[in-house]
Parts: sequence; C-alpha cells; structure tokens
Amino acid sequence: MRSPIGLKIRNLRKTLHFSQSGFAKMVGISPSYLNLIEANKRDVGGTLLQRIAALLNVELEVLTGDREQRLINDLEEVFADPMLESLSLGPEDARNLVATNPDAGAALFRIYRGFLDARAEARAMSNRLRSDPLFSELLHQMLSQITAVRSAAEILVDVPDLEGGQRKRFHASLSRDSRTLSDVAQTLIGEFERETVEHHSVSPMREVDDLIIDERNHFASLEELGISLRNEVLAFGGYAEASLDLALKHKFGVTVERAGQVQAQTDELPGQYRYNKEQKLMWFQGNCTMSTRQFQLSRLYAELSGLELLMQLTDDKRLTSANSRRLAYRALGSYLAGAISLPYADFLRDAIESKYDIDFLSQKYTASFEQVAHRLVTLRAPGHEGIPFGFLRSDPAGRLTKQFPLPGLQLPNAGHACPLWAIYGAFRRPNDVVRQVVTYPDGSRYLFFAKSTSKRAAAYSQAPFYTSVMLACDILYADKTVYGEGLQLENAALDVPVGPTCHMCIRRDCEHRQEEVLASVDSMHSVRTPLVSTKFDVGDADKNA
Amino acid sequence: MSVDILIVEDEPSILDSLDFILSRAGWNISAVTDGDAAIIAVGELNPKVLVLDVMLPKKSGFEVLKHLRAQQSTKDLPVLMLTAKGQQQDRRIAEELGANGFVTKPYSNSEVVEAVRQLMEQAAA
Repeated sequence: MRSPIGLKIRNLRKTLHFSQSGFAKMVGISPSYLNLIEANKRDVGGTLLQRIAALLNVELEVLTGDREQRLINDLEEVFADPMLESLSLGPEDARNLVATNPDAGAALFRIYRGFLDARAEARAMSNRLRSDPLFSELLHQMLSQITAVRSAAEILVDVPDLEGGQRKRFHASLSRDSRTLSDVAQTLIGEFERETVEHHSVSPMREVDDLIIDERNHFASLEELGISLRNEVLAFGGYAEASLDLALKHKFGVTVERAGQVQAQTDELPGQYRYNKEQKLMWFQGNCTMSTRQFQLSRLYAELSGLELLMQLTDDKRLTSANSRRLAYRALGSYLAGAISLPYADFLRDAIESKYDIDFLSQKYTASFEQVAHRLVTLRAPGHEGIPFGFLRSDPAGRLTKQFPLPGLQLPNAGHACPLWAIYGAFRRPNDVVRQVVTYPDGSRYLFFAKSTSKRAAAYSQAPFYTSVMLACDILYADKTVYGEGLQLENAALDVPVGPTCHMCIRRDCEHRQEEVLASVDSMHSVRTPLVSTKFDVGDADKNA
Repeated sequence: MSVDILIVEDEPSILDSLDFILSRAGWNISAVTDGDAAIIAVGELNPKVLVLDVMLPKKSGFEVLKHLRAQQSTKDLPVLMLTAKGQQQDRRIAEELGANGFVTKPYSNSEVVEAVRQLMEQAAA
C-alpha cells in the first residue's frame, strides 16, 4: 500500500510557504510532475526524494514514513469498528489524517486501544463476577448476613410482646451480623480495588511490541554485547551446549542438569526447563530438543551477563507498567540470546547464501525454526540489512500469539487473521514448509511461508500442542529466497487472494468469508444470508431481487 | 415423633429467626444444619413441610431435594427452597428437581410465613 508521501510533501511545502511552481523549480522538476507527486499519483524515491527531503529540511524517514504506514493500518482498523460505522470513514480518511496530523491519528488510535482494553476489562470483570468462586462465596456471605439482619430487625420491630431474653438475643444477633456484614463488604471492596490495580494495562504485550517495532526490531547495543558474550563462550570450545555449560559454570557458578520427566512442584510453573536462582541450577526435562537447550542456555547467559544493559533498555517511558517492563526484559533477553547464538554478520551471510533457507540455518546453528525465523526479522542493521520480513505465530485456535509487522503488510491487531493464509494451512501439514504467493485487496503481493511444529512429548499422556510460525516478505524479494523458487512469481493471476482478516477485508466475492466487513465501505451483507430475500431494513440491498 | 416444619439452614442467626417466626405462627419446629442430617431427620421426624437452604455443608440443598424426590415416602413432601437473589440458575434447577415453593434471600419474614402457610394448605388439601 502506498504511503501518503505526496500529501506530506505538499503540507511541508506549504508550511515553508513555497509555491508549487517555485518548489518544483528548486527541485528541478516540472510543476505538473510535482503536482502528480503531491496528489500521490506518482511514486517518488531515490535521489529525487532525497533532494525533496533536503529542501524541505526533514529526514528522509519522515517522508517515507514506515511508522506512519503502520498507523494508517491501525486507523483503518479503528474506522472499521461497528461503533463508527455511521461516520463512513474509510482507508482514504486514515491516510489523510496520518498525512495531515499524525499526532492526532496516534492519539485517536491510543484512545481506541484504551477503549478496547477497557471493554476487555469490563468483560473479564463480568465473567469474573459470574464465575469466580471467591466472589460467589462473598456474595453468598453477604446475602446470608443481610437475610439474618433483616429477619432479626423485623422481629424486633414487628413483635410487640417479645420477652426480655428474646429481645436481648435478637439485639445481640443483629449487632453481630451487621459487624460480619461490614467485614464481608470490606473484603469485597478490597477485591475490586486489587483487581483495578492489576488490570491497569490490559495489553502490556502490545506496548512491548510497539517498542520493538519502533526500534525496527534491531538493537545495536544488544548486538554488540552479544558478540563479546559469544567470544566468552567460544573460549571454552565451539558454540555448543558443552561450552555454554562451562562458560556458565566458570562465570556464574551455574550447574546444568538434564533429567527425565520430573513432576513440577506445585509452586513451580509447568515447562520443559527452569532456572533456580538460589541453587544456581538450570534444569532441563529429558524431552527438550537440543535447540531448546542451547537457546535457553544462551538466554540464561544473556540474562545473567546483560543485566545492566537490559535494565537500561527496559527503563523506557514507552513501557508504562511494571508488567510491560517485565515482558520487555524477557523479550530483549531473548533478543540478546539470539545475538549470542546467531551472530549477526555470520548469520546474515549464511542467510543470504542459503537464500534464507530456514531449515538449513536451523541445522547449521542448532536453532529451532521459530528461533531462526525470529532472528531473520532482526537483520535490520543500517547498511547491513537482510530481506525485510514480517513474523507471525499462531496457536491451533487461529489466534495470533506473536507478530512483528512488515511495513505495508496489513495485519489484524489482535485475534485471528485471514483463514486462507499459509500460517493456517501449515497446521494441516505439520513439519512441512507451506508456501504461497498472495495478493491483498489493494493489489500488493507477498510471499508467505509457514511451518507448524509441536514440542516433543515427554509422555504418551501429553497431547502434542502445535504452533505455526510464518514469515512474510514483499513479492519483490521472493526470488532471493529459496521459498520463491519454482513459483510463478510474475503471474499474479495464480496468487491466492487474501486479506488481513475478514472484518478488515473488502473482498465481497470471497466465498470463504466468515464475518462481515465492518467498514462502512460496504453496507451489503454477504455472510449467512437466507436463500431468498435479504431485505430486512430500509436501504438494505435486496440481493436476489 | 412428628413435627410440622423441618428447617435446614447452616447460618445460626437465620436459623434462629426462622425458628422464632415459624413457631410464633403456630407450628412446631425442628432444625438441622447440614444436608446429610436433613435426609436422616426427614426420615425420623416425618415433617409436613421442609424449609431447605441451597448452600449447605456436606450435601447441597439440591442433592437433598433430589434424594427426597427419589424416595417413595418423600417424593411428595412439600419443600420450600431458600434461594439467593441473582441466582436464577439455582431457581431453575430447584424447579426441575421438584421444589414446591421458593423464597429469595434476603426475604421478609412475612414472605416465609406466607409461603409455608400455602404449602401447609396444599398438603392438607
């Protein structure tokens, strides 16, 4: 999707009080050509764009605006919300807003996200109230106390001939029960207050994602530290588990234990590995794959060695809660582990030479498909870039559980994506790489390739849990990957017509549609229509008429 | 031995008040405080009406009701359930299990007396 570069040029030019013809002259192009550029009818790039940026006294990035592109996609999703349907805002409005006032656009999206958080919190709260055993217990206690109080009070008021002893007894019970009632009420209020604090930010993960995306998924300081830490490990032999064991023992006195299946203690999280800080013991369950062990050992080495830098990086005002700082710490710790175990320069070279063959790279670096895919996304060092990739991970319910967007590629902010994507097809063919060339409704084309894998089971009773990981790149780079080989990259007619997700997709003719388009661009209904007539409302199109 | 009303309620203050108002209305009362005791007491005391709370220790009011309805001797025993406000599901379950009347907590004393009176009249008819 083309970013609104022309509008930005026009606005900046006007701010500087240059006339269109005068500015065209400065740039060295005809006024009519500048007019086409400003109307977004001509692509502009290369030296011409650099010249324009210099004359407008702005960074090139401000004009190309990958970050803005993401904001446009975000705003399109906002405008697609049924709540705003009657306003008839569409993709064009999103582009215009971002071009003319990106801060207002960002504010709008932030508020929308806040609204989504609040709505999710309200739903969670109402579910809690309905099903939470603590609340229902407290509710039961309150009702009991109120019943007792009311009943005793009525007796005291309504029975004139109450004996002294009886009167005393009901007074005592009234006083006792009302005290208990206030205790219960206090507890209940306390519960609500606690909840409010805990739910302060429902999507800390999103904050972390935003931070990482803002930094273009590349952290030079972590790459640098990664190299020196890798050299520390290499002093003990090649980069492998054995040297990591030795390096951890030598530098931190950590021992590593590999055991069969051990029942987790009740206070421990379930999982294939864990680190005990007090005992300085890293423990792996027997079913851990070599790549998991190597990566987790790298991660431990990274977290223990990089404490200071990681703390420094997570002390960032974009992370607004302790929870998001914790998640960022974890994510950046994993990033550092990647920088240690998949060193930038070597990995980039191997990636280019193998045409980004993830399975090949997995073998070469003893890393999982997901770890390699994730590392490929981080190859964004200025001047030493690999292909720009977007990264997505899905659980078997179709929920996207992790994503790093690709500028221009429209992705849903939450929930599930288009059911036609390879990321879902991969679930039907576990352990195979599933690839596809797709076309978006706006005509942009991408190469998608995905693979679903499951953790190795530790026992027959453990059901395999598959996740699917997908990389996406612009069709322009497809021929540089092994996954583009043998596909008819030139022939868009053979592409799979996809969208971001049904409610953001305008393909009316898609027979796989499961949800209506929410955007006002299309008020016709195409999902779950009766066979005969679909006219239910004034203005509703009668499709079969 | 026989009583008019058996009350099954675990909250002592509520039980105390129920005992008082129902005795005052002229019936003789016996009471137990858990589900197991309720089943035994019904067999021994042969009450005319059972006033049964839902939330009880050992066996819930529902379990007690289900058990009583499955016995030939108690399948027609008039049962007044004490349910909690807002717990519509409880009321539906109690209806399906064959409760004869409901009073919702927090109730007014006169509601209980009136509901028991109705069940007594039905039982007598």
